[in-house]
Order: sequence, then C-alpha cells, then structure tokens
Amino acid sequence: MTDDYEHYEAVVVGAGPGGAAAAATLADRGVETLVLERGVEAGSKNVSGGLIYAEESAPYTIDGLFSGFRQGATERPVSEYYIHNVAGDRVKTFDLGDVHHHDTEWCDAVLRRRMDSWLAERVHERTRETGGGLLSGVRVDGLLRDEGEIVGVTCEELDPITADVVIAADGVNSELARDAGLMDWAEPDEWFQGVKAVVDMDPDLVDDRFDVPPDDGVAHLFSGDLFDGVRGGGFLYTNEASLSIGTVFHLDSLADERAEPHELLDSLLTHPLLDQWFQGEYHEREYAAKLVPDSKKAAHPSPHQGRLLLVGDAAGQMQAQGPIIKGMNHAVSAGGLAAEAFAEAQSRGNPASAGALYERKLEDEGVMATLRPTRYRLTRAVSEHDLVTRAAEGVLDSAVGRAGVRAFDGLLERGFNSPFLLGMIPDTRTSYVTIPRVVAEELGEPVEATNDVEPPALDDRIGDLTYDVGEPHIELQDNSWAASGTAVTACPVSAREFGGGCYREETIRTNGGTERVVSLDTQPCVECGTCAIVADTEWDHPAGGKGVEFEEG
Amino acid sequence: MPEIDPTEHDITELGPEIADVDDEQELEEMLALEKGGEGREGVLTLIEDRLETVGSDEETVDPETVDLTDLSVADVANMVREVEDVEVLRDVLERETAGKDRKGAKSQIENRIESLESTGAESEVEYVPPAEKHPDLDHPTNDKRYVEGTVDGDYRDMWVFCETQRGELIDVSREMLGKAREMMDGYNDDHDADEAVVAVLIGDGVGDLTDECLAYGADRVVYHEDERLQRFRHRPYTEIFCHMCRDWAVDWRDYHEPRYTIFPATNNGRDLSALVQGELDSGLASDCSGLYIEEADISNPAKTGAPGETTTFEKVLHMKRPDFSGFEYSTILCIDKPHRDFHPQGASVIPGSFEMPDAESEPDGEVVEHDLELPAEWFRIEVTDFDALEGGVDLTGNEVVVALGRGIGRDPTRGIELGLEFVDAFESADLGLSRGVITASYQFDGHVADYVAEERQIGESGQVVEPELYVAVGISGAVQHKVGMDESDTIVAINTDPDADIKDFSDYYVHGDLFEVLPRLTEALEAGEFDRALAAEVSDD
Repeated sequence: MTDDYEHYEAVVVGAGPGGAAAAATLADRGVETLVLERGVEAGSKNVSGGLIYAEESAPYTIDGLFSGFRQGATERPVSEYYIHNVAGDRVKTFDLGDVHHHDTEWCDAVLRRRMDSWLAERVHERTRETGGGLLSGVRVDGLLRDEGEIVGVTCEELDPITADVVIAADGVNSELARDAGLMDWAEPDEWFQGVKAVVDMDPDLVDDRFDVPPDDGVAHLFSGDLFDGVRGGGFLYTNEASLSIGTVFHLDSLADERAEPHELLDSLLTHPLLDQWFQGEYHEREYAAKLVPDSKKAAHPSPHQGRLLLVGDAAGQMQAQGPIIKGMNHAVSAGGLAAEAFAEAQSRGNPASAGALYERKLEDEGVMATLRPTRYRLTRAVSEHDLVTRAAEGVLDSAVGRAGVRAFDGLLERGFNSPFLLGMIPDTRTSYVTIPRVVAEELGEPVEATNDVEPPALDDRIGDLTYDVGEPHIELQDNSWAASGTAVTACPVSAREFGGGCYREETIRTNGGTERVVSLDTQPCVECGTCAIVADTEWDHPAGGKGVEFEEG
Repeated sequence: MPEIDPTEHDITELGPEIADVDDEQELEEMLALEKGGEGREGVLTLIEDRLETVGSDEETVDPETVDLTDLSVADVANMVREVEDVEVLRDVLERETAGKDRKGAKSQIENRIESLESTGAESEVEYVPPAEKHPDLDHPTNDKRYVEGTVDGDYRDMWVFCETQRGELIDVSREMLGKAREMMDGYNDDHDADEAVVAVLIGDGVGDLTDECLAYGADRVVYHEDERLQRFRHRPYTEIFCHMCRDWAVDWRDYHEPRYTIFPATNNGRDLSALVQGELDSGLASDCSGLYIEEADISNPAKTGAPGETTTFEKVLHMKRPDFSGFEYSTILCIDKPHRDFHPQGASVIPGSFEMPDAESEPDGEVVEHDLELPAEWFRIEVTDFDALEGGVDLTGNEVVVALGRGIGRDPTRGIELGLEFVDAFESADLGLSRGVITASYQFDGHVADYVAEERQIGESGQVVEPELYVAVGISGAVQHKVGMDESDTIVAINTDPDADIKDFSDYYVHGDLFEVLPRLTEALEAGEFDRALAAEVSDD
C-alpha cells in the first residue's frame, strides 16, 4: 500500500539551521533529499534570541556548510559580552568575555527570517541536484507507519511521502517527536519561555550608543530583581539596524507566579539602565515568543526511533546554562551528524542503523556531554533541594554572605566565566535572583537615568504581527480555570483583563451559581507551545502557510 | 592564471563553471590553487573529475589507423561504440583477426556491426494495433470506432462549455470566453486562419444567454434548450455536447471534431469534461490555471514515430496546471501519435484563473439552435430531491450594522437581546459580532443562540462591511476588527473604557455601559429622536 506514495531517500522536516545542515550534508553526499517547511518561507515561523555560535570543537559549523553565511545571513559579530546584576536601580556589571570566547570561533547576532530564508535558497539549490528540493507551505503532521514501522511522513497538504530516513528538525514543538513518543509536553520545569522585541535603531546610532565599530556588536545579559522573583533573565543583542531585546524564564516559575511575560519584558525595556541605549526613542518592529527546551533535562539521550532521527530543538538540544545560551550551533552539529550517520549507514547497506550511529556520533563528538553535563545531574539532587535553596538564600542575605560577596568580587566574576562551574548552576531562585541581587546591592552603583520609553501595549503588539488565520489549530480539552487558567497569564499573547488574546478568563452562570472558565481564540497565536504545557489542550500547528508570519524572527 | 580562481567561489557556483572548462592546463592550475587555499574536498573532486573527462577526450583514437595491439579489449569496446560506419568496423574486425585475434574484442566489434545494421532496417516504429501486440490483455475499447484509426483528421475551432446557474452564466464561463477570444485571435493571426470560438449552452431557457456569450467573445453560440435539462445531468449533457461538435451535420461544422475544448473546473464542469473528452477519444488536462497556444518540439518516439528525431508540432494547446498540490506547475500537452489522433485538445479551467473580460456592447456573431430529439432513454436517471446549501448571512447590504463585542460578557444573552432590539428599530440593519464573542465560552439561551455564529463575524477573518452607520457596542477595536469596518461612513462606539482603541477611529464615542445605553438609544430611535438621543449620550462623556 505504501508503494503508491512518492519516495525519497531522505525527508528533512523543517528548514531551520538543523534541517538546513542535515539537508546540505545529505545533498553533498549524493542522497536524494526532500525538505518540507511549513512556513510560507523558511524563517517565517522561527524565533531565536539571536546569537549563533561556531564552536572550535564542533563537528560542523554553519559557515563550514554554507560558505558566505556570515556575509549573507547574519547581523553583526558579537565581540563583547556582559552581564548586569540588577537590584532596584543599583547595577553591577561583569565582563563575561572569557566564557563567551571560550571554544568560540565566531559568534554573530541573527534575525531568523533573514537567516533561514538565506539558508533555504541554498538548501533548495543543493537538494535539487539530488532529485529533491525544498517545498515551503507544507505542514508535516505525523509519521507514516507500515505494520508499526516508521516509513515516512504524512502531510496536511500533500499525500504521504515515504523515505529511508526522516530527519525531524521541526522545532521545539515537534509533532514528529511527539508522534514517536520521544518527547512530551508534560513537565513545565523542562522548559524556558522567551519573549523578544526587535527594536528599530539606525546603524549609526547602534555604533554610537553601544560604542562598537560599524561591523561589530555586543551582547548584554540582565539578571537580578527585575522580574518580580520569576526565575530567568534578560538579553540585548545588537543587530545591523535593530536590537533584539528579550527575557527568558523558567516556565514552571512563570506559571507558578502567574506572571505576564509581556510585562516582564516591559520591566526590562523600561529599566533606567537601558536609557543609555534608547535615549528616549523606542520603535518596536516585532514582538515574538518561543519555548526553549532545557537540554539539561530535556535533551533526549537517544533521539531516534526506526527511520526517524530528531535534530535540534525537536530533540531538546538547546544549551542554557546560566549565561551560556546556545541552541542553533548544536542543531547544526546534530543535523550534520544525523546526515552523516544516514549516509554511512546507507553505504554500508544497512540504512536502519542510522539512528544508532547518530546517537554514537552525538556522544563521540561531545555534543551530548555539552547538552547534558554529568556535573549538573550529579549535583542537582542537592543543589535544587528546597532546604538547600533556603539555606543558601539565608546565608547570602545574611551579613556573613554579603561580606563574602564583597570580599570575593573578582572571584565571582571569574566564577561566572567558568564553563565548568556554569554547567553546575542549579535552577533555583538563588542563581537567578538572589546572587545577582545581592551582588548588585553590595557591589553595584546606582544608575542615574530615567527611562521613559513606552513599549506598545499587548493589543498593539498582536495587531502589528502578520497572520493568515486558518482553522483553529489548538483545542481546549478542559476549559475549567483549574485545568487551563494558567494559560491566561503564561501565554505571551494573553493577559488577565484582556479580551483580545488567545486565552481569556470568563465567568459563566450555571445552575444556581457561577463558574470561572477560560475560552480560546487561536487567531493571535504565535505558536510558542506554552499552553500545550500549562493548559489542557490538543495542540497542533496551523496548516502550511497559515498562522503567524514573523518578519524578523 | 586560470580564468576562474576556485578559492574565490562557492562549491555550488563552481559546478557549472568547471563543466565549461576544456583546457587541461587550466584545470591543473585551478587544482593547484585550491590545494594551496582551503583545499575543500568537494572542490578538489570536482576539478579532478573534470580533468579526467577532459583528459580522456584527448586519447580519442582513430579506428581506421590505430594499432589494435596497443588497445585492451575494453579500449576496443569503447572505441567501436563511437563508430557509425559499418565498413570501418569490418576493417577493424579484419585487423583484429589478423593481429591478436582476441575473442572478446571481436565479439564487441561484431555486436556493434549487428546493432548498426539492425537499426538501419527499423528506423521507423512499426505500428501494431494494441489487440495484436498484447493478445493476453482485455481490450474493452476495441470496438470503439474513434479510439484507433483516426489519423490526420480535420479539426477546427475552440469550443467552450458555458455553465449556467439559475438562468445566469457563471463567472468562469465569461472568463473562459474572454481567454478563448484572446487565444483564437492570436491563433488566427499566426496561422492566417479563420477559426472560431464556439460557445455551448445547454439547459432550460438558455436561449436568453446567447447574446451575452457573443458579448464576452464567442463567434458562434450553439444552444440546446429543454426543460428536462434544468439541472445538470451526465448522460444528456454529454450526449448533446458530443453530438453538437462531432456528429451534427451543419454546413458551418465541416470538420471531424473541435481542435480545442474548454470546460470550467466546477463540480459539474469536471464531470462533463471527463465524460466528453472520453467519448471523443482524447485526453483531458483537468484543473488548469493557464492556457496558451504555441508550437512544441517533441522527441518522444511514441509521438514522433522515429527514435532520435525531434518533430515540431504546431498549434499545440499548452495547459498549465498546479501539481504537487500547487507547489509546482506542470504544462500538459495533448499530441497526436503516428497512428492515432488526440483531438480535441481539452482542458478544464479553475474559476478565477483568467481575467473577467469587458462585455462588448454590440457584438457580431451567429446563434444556432441545436435541433435534436432527445431520447427518453437519456433521462432514465431522475433527480428526485435536492438540498440547497445555506446561503449564510451577508451583512454587506445593510445601511446599518450593529456589532457586539466582549462588553456583553457580564450577561451575554441579555446583550444579544438588546443588540437585536436595537437592530429592529432600524429599517435596514443587521447584527454583527466581534471574533471575541464568537470564540468565547459564553452560554446563550436558546432564543438568541442561533445568532452567535461565525457567519456574523466582522473583521479580518470574517466579513468586511462599509455601511452608512456602524455601531460598535462593547468592542475594544483591535486591528483585526478595525479592518472589517473602518470604511463605514459613520462609526459610533459605545464602551465603558475611555482608552479603548475604538475611540480613535469612531466619529462618535459614547462612554457608558451598553446595558444602559442600548435601551435608551432603541427607545429614542422608535420615537424618531435618534439624533438628539445620540447627541445627548455623546455629550454625557
């Protein structure tokens, strides 16, 4: 029965950096490769904070696979890297140059629409040579099975397609990974949620205000008490003619605190520290959001099943360890390795062994060790224990702890710059909030500026996004406040008392009483996946070419 | 220095460039440059491959003079593959026999001689009727007189099936006539011909539409009226169309079948196109979105009859259709074979693919009624029952649109009631809703529940209205809503929130609770004092 379907040696799902790396590597090895992308154009569904690294120790780098990448697809190199510890208006800044440059061949800021569409053009050219190509506007919605074995993919817009290997690079909300049962959306503590504003700024002003040469740039991180105790931090990266400014929080913390992501972003945007860069001018080009897997917990140690190989966010391969935030480079490595594994398995006449070979390569090349450091797993049980957290908080906030912070000023900065120590950072309030706050209180200088910029309200942010609204793609399974109420706050395009968002709080009259419920309208959805975790939903992506279209990403 | 410095190019650019380099020296230099540069493995392979190809060209030997003892059997095999002259081959064979007399080499030469001699005799494909060629298969169409045997028939004109609904031409019929006119004007110019656009009308009372067909581009309209043809029915429609264009003896139709046929790719048109083209023993390109007439160079031996030859076919209708669900396009050609014609060249056309032509005010042309007794047998299948699809709610024709938003959330049923009462107080008005209401979990009592449906939604994903008066009741005015109504002549907003966006693009803003304001406005309207009441509400702000 599956004989009737179109067949390719390889089908790559998703044209982000992981999919592009896989497709290019397959094509270079002569494998007939079809790439399917659900956006109207590659990049239109993709959001990143915005730094892509090329690591010296990595098996593959994006410019190694696509020459001219840095000239054609990126914004500015990022040469300087700082973290600002904030307590009220006091700020202590550390230079994180050492950790940033550790193992780094280069690092550039990127905007994904531009980057991914640039890659897609080249991927299409190269895969076409093999008899395949890249089709956009096609949503792959599941795995095709024959007698229980994965043999290809099913699509909303096309007939099923069979393949000898399916490389799922379909992002953090990978429908294929979930279909295979390799990933789920069960635990909020395995995820971060990031929201980002791309802010317009003339190139000359960027040079001037950030004190960088015209072809160079800088990254700033922010942590401390900016965010009402929600665990996470902020970032600012310089693009060619804009800034990417965002905040990233642990989803469990965001949900528990009933925090509004867009308001947390606004507290960063309106902090006096940022006045030196805005100087009263603020024009937001785009508001965006995405989920980020925490590879320490979510990276699948064995990301394959039968002919299916997972790559990048789809496999949870996103490294977020304190100030180290790296995702796209690992997706590129994984994509290259997955392709290599299939090509080798195929030439040995045993394509079915591709998955196992891929897993071995991830280990041998050190990718897995970086994503899931043993140090973290070993120390986590102790360091994330509630009692330990409280004890640490107590000590830090005590006179002794504060004296220690003062005494070890230089040591602290070195500690932040140690990739080894950062791999152990426990995911607790202590690391994200208390230490930076105490550091700032004890060592910081007050910022003397007023920042009176007014970021757009949520309805205007939604109104400025481009949508092609199709059929509702998310179904609310349980609309009770208890089951799904968290989505009203945690969803980046919903808020309490706001009727124009996805999730809205409503009160309905029932026999003899009232009931608090939520209703869902998927029109303003930015497809981040937050509600799949914090609410009771049946979550799918919109059809190919439908839904939100990011212009910057 | 070679012309191309590989170190300055991507591997993807180099591929095609290197394929054009024939000079071995130059390639060697390029290889050296790359080795001295990045030494990319792919590039090195590319250049080395090319070098091998170019190098091997130079070793080409002259079979008439070469010393065969210098060549291996494989070399001989490669050499003779290029030789076309049988005499030369015989000479080579003789020299081999006189020389090393290798069996392998001799059989290679003999095989080549044999293959050259046999193809000479069979340069044209011999025609064997399918029934003889494959006696083991069923041949269900064997007795159909048009399937095989019609060769070099006479074909003329472009026939267009003009579908009607409720006594009117549907838009795609007009679009097809316009396109047919344009194509046949070009055709007649190019070929100094005088072939016509023939419009076909079949139905009940379609005689009234003949002038319209002429106005949109037909030279001749053929119509068949019968009250039994009021609905589209497969058998009679197919029989009538085929009789008109193939069997009907009229002086102006002095040809075998039409050259081209065009149908709409509607539900009925798709059925008819397949049935008619099948009956006329041709093919069909369905669901086309582009058509043009051009010559085509074809080298497929099934079409040319001679392997290796390219034949130019004239007057070929190129039928472009979306493929792969619209991600790629194919161009379909329907071309005669040596022993079997494929005419008419037929297509069905997706509605909206072509521009709506301007109607000519005083068109020239001929109208012909098709006279044929329709046998009762064609009507054996009767339509006993049918359903009309719900038309839905069209808000666009109203003078007034009253739209309710999430402001009704406190008591949704009462909100709808108040909205409907207000609507009823106008002469020409209807109720619209914001998307926020339609997607809410509000529970409505039975008597208003039917009103809460997507068909009343106003905005980007609903209807776009521009009435004389638009009353936005409890609507905040998100951009997605705004695009559905901001062309209205006068906009009145009623809202409790003085910061609501709607205020920015309203002519009048009433600051108040809709549950209080709406009843007052309804009352005033019924008393004929709406203007004054509105003025009072607005000044309340």
